Amino acid sequence: MDNDQVVGPAPGPTPSAMNSRSLPRSAPPLLIAAAVVLLALVETAAALIAPSRAPTDADWAAAARQVRAEFRPGDLIVAAPAWADPILRVHLGDLIPIEVAGRLDDDRFARVWEVSQRGARATATTGGTVALEQRFGRLTVRRIERQAEPVGYDFVARWADAQVSRVEAARTVPCRTTGDRIQCPDLSFNFVHRQIVEVDNRLREALLAQPVGQAVVAIEYPAVRLGRVLVVATGLHDTWMRKAARGTVEMRVIVGGQPQALPTTSDDSGWTRTRIDTTARAGQVVPVRFEITSPAPYARHFAFAAEARG
Amino acid sequence: MGGTSRRADRLITLGLALGTVLWLLAVEGREGFGRDEAQYMRAGERYWGWFEELATNLRQGKPGRSFGASAIDRYWSDNAPDHPVIMKTLSGLSWRAFHTCTCTGPARGLHPIPVQGRHWTLPLFSRDSTAFRFPAILFAALLVAMVFRFARAWLPPSAAAAAAVLTLAQPHYFFHAQIACFDAPIATMAFAVGFAYWKSLRDPRWGIAAGVLFGVALGVKHNAWLMPFFLVAHFLWMRRGDLRARRLPRPPLAFVAMLVLGPIIFFLHWPWLWNAPVARTRAYVVRHLDHEHYNFEYLGWNWNQPPTRTAMKLLRATAPFVETGFTVPVTTLALAAFGAAALVRRRRDEALFPDGESEAPVAAQPSWLRPGADVDRAPGAFVLFQTLGPLCVLAVPSTPIFGGVKHFLTAMPYLALLGGIGLTSIARGLVGALPIARARLGRAAPAVLAFVVCVPAVIETRRSHPDGLGHYNLLAGGFAGGASLGMNRQFWGYSVLPMLPDLEARAPENRRLFWHDVLSDAISMYKREGRLAMGVGDTGFGEDGIKRSEIGILFYEKHWAKYEGWFWEFYGTTQPIYVRAREGVPLVTLYRRGAR
Repeated sequence: MDNDQVVGPAPGPTPSAMNSRSLPRSAPPLLIAAAVVLLALVETAAALIAPSRAPTDADWAAAARQVRAEFRPGDLIVAAPAWADPILRVHLGDLIPIEVAGRLDDDRFARVWEVSQRGARATATTGGTVALEQRFGRLTVRRIERQAEPVGYDFVARWADAQVSRVEAARTVPCRTTGDRIQCPDLSFNFVHRQIVEVDNRLREALLAQPVGQAVVAIEYPAVRLGRVLVVATGLHDTWMRKAARGTVEMRVIVGGQPQALPTTSDDSGWTRTRIDTTARAGQVVPVRFEITSPAPYARHFAFAAEARG
Repeated sequence: MGGTSRRADRLITLGLALGTVLWLLAVEGREGFGRDEAQYMRAGERYWGWFEELATNLRQGKPGRSFGASAIDRYWSDNAPDHPVIMKTLSGLSWRAFHTCTCTGPARGLHPIPVQGRHWTLPLFSRDSTAFRFPAILFAALLVAMVFRFARAWLPPSAAAAAAVLTLAQPHYFFHAQIACFDAPIATMAFAVGFAYWKSLRDPRWGIAAGVLFGVALGVKHNAWLMPFFLVAHFLWMRRGDLRARRLPRPPLAFVAMLVLGPIIFFLHWPWLWNAPVARTRAYVVRHLDHEHYNFEYLGWNWNQPPTRTAMKLLRATAPFVETGFTVPVTTLALAAFGAAALVRRRRDEALFPDGESEAPVAAQPSWLRPGADVDRAPGAFVLFQTLGPLCVLAVPSTPIFGGVKHFLTAMPYLALLGGIGLTSIARGLVGALPIARARLGRAAPAVLAFVVCVPAVIETRRSHPDGLGHYNLLAGGFAGGASLGMNRQFWGYSVLPMLPDLEARAPENRRLFWHDVLSDAISMYKREGRLAMGVGDTGFGEDGIKRSEIGILFYEKHWAKYEGWFWEFYGTTQPIYVRAREGVPLVTLYRRGAR
């Protein structure tokens, strides 16, 4: 028996020795106790006060009246923080049509209404100047004015202009408009469809075009008037599809015969915007072709939106 | 401890338990039914059906009929192999005993087993669901009482009582403590097993008790599988002298009992296993070892599978620690930090505090019956392993985190115990620093301090109800702060309950109502209890459910965004007609077709 922990019956330490060891010798006990009491009081007060910091229905109604009074078609209305967006839409949703709620990005809006609480600011207001600011209880309404990029050609809205084909090794298979989509033959999932997609857990209005194995899905707009920039956004739709597979998707854009590769789209890409400078050809009418491929197309619900701007 | 003191302790224990039951019963009716709870209520009632049939067979002198494979499977295959049946069975028995029977009324067809006639009951509860929830509430009371009793070995009454109160007064624990699920009950069992193990270190009777309690824990929830690891870790630390001497310590009675009695009790308690013990036990184990990663929001990301990138793995590993830091009341966390410091500073063989249980060895020889008798029992390591163990398991990036705090709820009573230790440490310092002339103040100070530190926890918990899952503490900034941080707000559709009167009033549109994440079992229970008219419809799940509906609800969780897109598309509007929010944070939205 050589257990070094065995010490025999304990004599028992003196209470004073233990007393002094329960806290650092240098710690001022009164100060520590006071700090804990203060923390408890602050936490209690915060818990009691916090519910009253939330905007009331009356605050929202008043803020909505202000926005409505000066709203112009083409304005963007946003909530800050973004999680308040559903409540914003209860009060002002009729001024936020689906195409605005599911916008490609915020850059095309010259006037942005921000309904803010708790000091939050919306990213949509970045770079603008505050033309109006007014408080309504716990809410602050701001109108931000900024340089906008007017949209000359919206590829999602003009989906019916597109000529879609599936390019296989030995042939090109043309696809046809059937109802609300452009459907390619033989493969039920091979179509282009304008719809609301969920990319990165946010809703966007986009074209859904799933890639096909060993083939290129080509979407060509024969006559696009270019602006200063072509903005293309890509992503993978549907959180369950992103969970189901790991394959990547490639998109190439050919603007008037000049190819441009976009970043590879993967489960982690989110909604990726690419700006292609078309200043040199601004005003020209050219064909714009999108080519979609994937080495592993299973469950790849590829979505994209594009706009010629400026 | 004198006789008077023991009597006082018993009274405090009883008071804490009773207070817990009363508080939970007073508020549980405001908390809706999640998907899982509604299923467990259904299963519990169905399990009762087996007992009902057994009684009939007994009366007919043919009890063997109830033990045939088909009779067993007819009742016990519900919610199998998902979860063992102790809590569901208790729920079913409680329902049968204590509900107020309106069973032969319009909701007769909503019961999972045929209602033969009016039930004779002791009608303690007006709602069926309260009767189903009652056993879980009793388990919560048992936990609070046990924390006090355990803490009393180390702490004065006021601090031990504070530890017990801080156990209950945690918004996320409180949310789970009142529902007919298993997460709070398994926290009770984890503490019970730990308690028995701790006592067994110097008293062999508790070794057998540890085995029995572990068997019961196995029948409550699969978290029980992890308990031995945390206990073995402590045992090896406590007996590290043996390891240093290159001598393996003999397995103690508690572990032997857990190994032998645990599986026996587990097998005996679950009739579904009896027909094919190996195959079905395997199915149960595989179900949880290979569990799907449901969607869960954490720090702005939707997690629904194991991360593959290193940065995401690291972020994912922080989840249990950050969730603890953002959900447990801050004062409790601060006290726990002081408690951990006090445990670290304790010297070997000394009591944690004067008047506390001594750690001085009481025997010279090691014994497998009393493996902690000849050594210091290392209380710091014990509390540390029980607290951090569950969190560390959930920190492994490949484990699912869809339950949030409930997945490591077993750590929370020990965290509260740490809080009680911290409180004692601070109170002793305070009393020691007061001038002798202030003796009366010194005597009152510990109790006053105990009261003060419990206040924020109780207030925060009260504030959080009935949306405890969406509540975050002072550090995070409450409901709004949690939403801004991208923390989970809710899951499984429980938060619709306050909207039911509004939904019921929206006739006739509510005949075609899309319920989103509210399971049909939950809708049935709301109807059985008269909280929802029988005529309110359910258009089913998914895209087609929204297409068929006239009005519909949507729960705000990141992964449900697609459903909101369907509302916009099929209803032709982005404008909800109502949003249920807590402190301005949306939880549930109501859409109406064509609303403008």
